[in-house]
Amino acid sequence: MSSAAIETPLWRKLILNRFVLTLGILAALTLAWNAYVSTHDHGRVSGRVVDAEGRPVAAATVVLWVLNFTTYVEKTRATTDAEGRFLITDNDSHNIRLAAEKPGVGRSPRVPVRLYFRAEDVELLQPLVLSASG
Amino acid sequence: MLRYPRWPIHAMLLAVSFLMLVPFYWVVKTSVTGENIFAYPPSVLPKSPHPFYYVDVWYYIPFARYFLNSVVVSALAVIANVVFNALAGYALTREFRAKRFVLLLFLSCMMVPFQATIIPAYLITGRLGLLDSYWGLALPQFSTIVCIFVFKASFDAVPRSLVDAARIDGLAEWRIVWKVMMPLAKGAIATNVILGFIWSWNNFLWPLIVTRSAEMQTLPLGLARFLSYQEDTTGALYAFCIMVLAPGILLFLLAQKEFIRGLASGATKG
Repeated sequence: MSSAAIETPLWRKLILNRFVLTLGILAALTLAWNAYVSTHDHGRVSGRVVDAEGRPVAAATVVLWVLNFTTYVEKTRATTDAEGRFLITDNDSHNIRLAAEKPGVGRSPRVPVRLYFRAEDVELLQPLVLSASG
Repeated sequence: MLRYPRWPIHAMLLAVSFLMLVPFYWVVKTSVTGENIFAYPPSVLPKSPHPFYYVDVWYYIPFARYFLNSVVVSALAVIANVVFNALAGYALTREFRAKRFVLLLFLSCMMVPFQATIIPAYLITGRLGLLDSYWGLALPQFSTIVCIFVFKASFDAVPRSLVDAARIDGLAEWRIVWKVMMPLAKGAIATNVILGFIWSWNNFLWPLIVTRSAEMQTLPLGLARFLSYQEDTTGALYAFCIMVLAPGILLFLLAQKEFIRGLASGATKG
């Protein structure tokens, strides 16, 4: 046995043990991920609705569908404000679809949105675009 | 001394390693793309990879519960394997009457498949009141003959004088096992841990028979349940496979040095 091995204290050998190190890193990552999830799982889904020219659409109805086993069922509805923004606060799924419509303006295609965990707070990067053919 | 160039061997090993890794790569690739495995021409690189099939698996079935069940059962099996196999292996290094008969019995029992003993195993577990419990799930995997022989081979390599010295110093037999033999049998312990873990982790038939409630099911049963739930499962199914395989692969990678050493000692000194 080398002198370095003799001099290394037990706690240091335990911490630097590859089993302890690997499992410790995994545990730390799990804890960090759970902490992140617990602070970002309010079920908020927000975004914008615009018309074909890119102008915000007020008073458009946004429908949220959630995956129920094998099919998507309507979960809730929201209405856009004057700037075309909407906020849904009761999403409890990780696999959702969104669509918007407004009589006289048109409707958007259903947009699938995949989340990293259930009820993840998310803001759509792309607006829902209403068109007469949608 | 004539030295041959090593690069042809390394090149061949690289090629074989690559061939061995292709199926793993394909499973990982499909788990992040969900593309049809029969697609032609196949895409070698993943197109638009994403982790959402893993999220699906996590929520479609109670994955965390199954994972916990598998971990508990495997931990019980591993601990019991190390303890019982070490004791049995040590006993087989000693001289006693009918030792050859016991060795022959062990070797012949290795030829009996588990399927043939499943009914008595079920009845015994039932009589003990362990059906649908962690202990019941782990019980038939508490000891494996292969691993007993791994310990025996490792203990046989320990010099007899060391054991005699320990005995002269007044150590009891069980302390000789734990204080003298076990520290010298790290390879055998690693082999037992890995084999015990993998066999327990992948076991399907016994948990299928012995569990009655969904809460006690293990990951292989969860995989079967998952398949029965979902139709279009290509991506999620492969993600599930990765999630089931990952702990075993991780354990093997962590302990591969000791594992190979343990198997090699079993192969040469048995």
